[in-house]
Amino acid sequence: MLKKRMLSATTALLVVMSLLAGCSGGGQKDADSSSGGDSSSGKKDKVELNLWLTPQWKGVMDASEQNADYDSFFKYAADKFSKQYDKHDVKVNVQVIAGDQRDEMLNVNLNGGTPPDIFFESVFAMGDYVHRGALEPLDDIVDDAAKKDIDQKYWDNVTFGDKVYFYPFAHNPGTLAYNADMFKAAGLDSYVGDANAIQTWTMDDYDKILKTLKEKLPKGSYPMGLYALNNQGDTWNLAYLRMFGNKFFDDQGNIIVDDENGIKAAEWLKKIYSEGYTNPGAESVSSNDANAMFQNQQLAISFTNPVLFNNSKADMEAGKAPKFDIRLANIPSSSGSPLSFTYVIGASVFKTGDAVKTQVAKDFVKFFSTDPELVKSSKNSIPVRSSVAAEFKDKYPLFAAYDANASNLFNFTGNVPGYSELRQVLYPELQAMYIGEKTPAQAIKDYQTKGNAVIQKAKESSVIFKK
Amino acid sequence: MKLRNYHWKENVTGYLFILPQFLMFLIFIVYPIIEGIRLSLYKVQFNQETFVGFDNYVTLFHDPVFFKSIYNTVIFVVFIVLLTVGFSIFVASSVFDKNAKYVSFIRGSYYIPVMVSMVVMSMVWGFLLNPANGLISYAAREMDFSIVNLLGNKHTVLPVIIFVTFATNVGQAIILYIAAMIGVPKDLFEAAEVDGASRVRIIFQILIPLVKPTTIYITIINIIAVLKIFVVIQLLTGGGPNNASVTMMYYLYNNAFKYNQLGVASAVGVIMFLITMLLSIPQLRAMFKEK
Repeated sequence: MLKKRMLSATTALLVVMSLLAGCSGGGQKDADSSSGGDSSSGKKDKVELNLWLTPQWKGVMDASEQNADYDSFFKYAADKFSKQYDKHDVKVNVQVIAGDQRDEMLNVNLNGGTPPDIFFESVFAMGDYVHRGALEPLDDIVDDAAKKDIDQKYWDNVTFGDKVYFYPFAHNPGTLAYNADMFKAAGLDSYVGDANAIQTWTMDDYDKILKTLKEKLPKGSYPMGLYALNNQGDTWNLAYLRMFGNKFFDDQGNIIVDDENGIKAAEWLKKIYSEGYTNPGAESVSSNDANAMFQNQQLAISFTNPVLFNNSKADMEAGKAPKFDIRLANIPSSSGSPLSFTYVIGASVFKTGDAVKTQVAKDFVKFFSTDPELVKSSKNSIPVRSSVAAEFKDKYPLFAAYDANASNLFNFTGNVPGYSELRQVLYPELQAMYIGEKTPAQAIKDYQTKGNAVIQKAKESSVIFKK
Repeated sequence: MKLRNYHWKENVTGYLFILPQFLMFLIFIVYPIIEGIRLSLYKVQFNQETFVGFDNYVTLFHDPVFFKSIYNTVIFVVFIVLLTVGFSIFVASSVFDKNAKYVSFIRGSYYIPVMVSMVVMSMVWGFLLNPANGLISYAAREMDFSIVNLLGNKHTVLPVIIFVTFATNVGQAIILYIAAMIGVPKDLFEAAEVDGASRVRIIFQILIPLVKPTTIYITIINIIAVLKIFVVIQLLTGGGPNNASVTMMYYLYNNAFKYNQLGVASAVGVIMFLITMLLSIPQLRAMFKEK
């Protein structure tokens, strides 16, 4: 009896031990592979990097390549890098993260001590991580040749305090896109611009366009896309709030949208929504919905940037979306000069506490941001390098049009700390305005109060502001 | 000492058998709870923690959105649990004594949505209800009705979420009730019938009292499940319009993963933990007494 019991007790103990061994065994394996290894076999040490990116362009050079996907470029770049890199044997794991999950993924991994080594993303969305002290400065990998080839305004965009934290690769100017076929069908031929230009309308033109479209479009189609479900695509909403001349931020980085011009812009938004010049239910519609509706020809005017624009065109060519004449226009303003903003896209390196990995990550960032072949891929957005822009200017006439817009650029983030949280403040106020819970003036006032509280709180803990 | 030793030897196998589960329980349940309570007293920034006492709780109690989230969560718990219990008793008591094939059919029909992931269900409902390109608004437009945005109206958004969650969850309760009701001794019904009791009276005075442990169980698991309601909110409304549908779990998630306020998020977690404990203890006690 006792023997039997001892046997079952031992078995139970063994089960427990094997379970625990199973758990810790995996950990051991992970630790081995992440340490970089110090093998003395004469081979190069293995270093494994994790690179994350949000969806940018598909393919290495072009979306028309076979099996083109969002990670194609970095897989190709990693392969090319590891073949020529002599210090270590490098493996790069590329992971595509949905834009709306970026902060969740990063916060979880930062708090868990497992941030990615490299993140390739629009700089505006990553500025917060600089303020939090999570990113490595990249000044040591920026040389004079790069400084010369990339315009100073892009370097300004990636410089926090006096250090560079992102290596500019391309930029993505935000504009409107319109369906020229729908315009023509509505008799708005005179407002249709050149296919290779970015059309500029005055506010009066724009109001007339919306009104005509509303009258002439078939049932189920709407003049303009409007959305406020979440923070996705909110830069366009921010731009609309500047339409009547509001400056948005003062010199100290505080929001100053609550003035006559800011309220006028909010009232305009509410008016076009209430009069049916936009899709219904803006409070429950996301920018993705709006983009899909535009592609399905349910919207005549929507938001876009070069990546979305090129992807839409590629989808039409590939027969994945209905084909129509898609063209670009500026966000109009009461002053007559268009409202322009751009997202500089580039790579940043996270502080992982592993000097070897950090160095290799920096070397890889420098490699794909300077390699003469790879930087050509920035043509999928708009190149930040004058050399690349010059090379492709004949093939992509829109580059010149974007360049002409550059003088109207405004810095939509104001480089303020706490920008990620600030983005969470705007859309609930817009929702309240659209559903009539708040007047436009009240919504703007509340946004300013809450937004400035967020900025103030973030300033107190920003490593840039504390210096 | 000898006696103790004997007891230990007698039970060691049993303890060893529960040891793996107990270790998991300690690591994955008890430790996070303790860590959550600790974090709720700290301000957490990138690799730096500062002790702030009850500041995070003070922040919470000054935020109207937090109170809105408590209110919404309570509304969801009350209505979803009442609807689930009421409707499943109704369905189960109507069919439990019918033909076995018919019972299986009813059980299966109600259980299918339970098997479908909540994410999928939410996306399907999102597709139906989208005001701009959803199926319901399309149908309304085609029939020249005015478009009502059920998710964008603060008076309708809660009922819609209650209905979606209820419709997805009710199958589980129906299964449990039918099983419990089939287990009720037949002679009780026969005796009642002989005495001339109506079916309604049998249901209310025999059936429902006899399945009380199931009712308590269903109530507890549903309260706990609904307290954590998140997926529907995240996918259907994002807490909107203007925070009208934000729940405690969604508020916690926003703070933890979007605003990176881990301390505040932990404080919400601690409050949710306390509420769940308070709600569960009397019910569990009642359940054990019953047994």
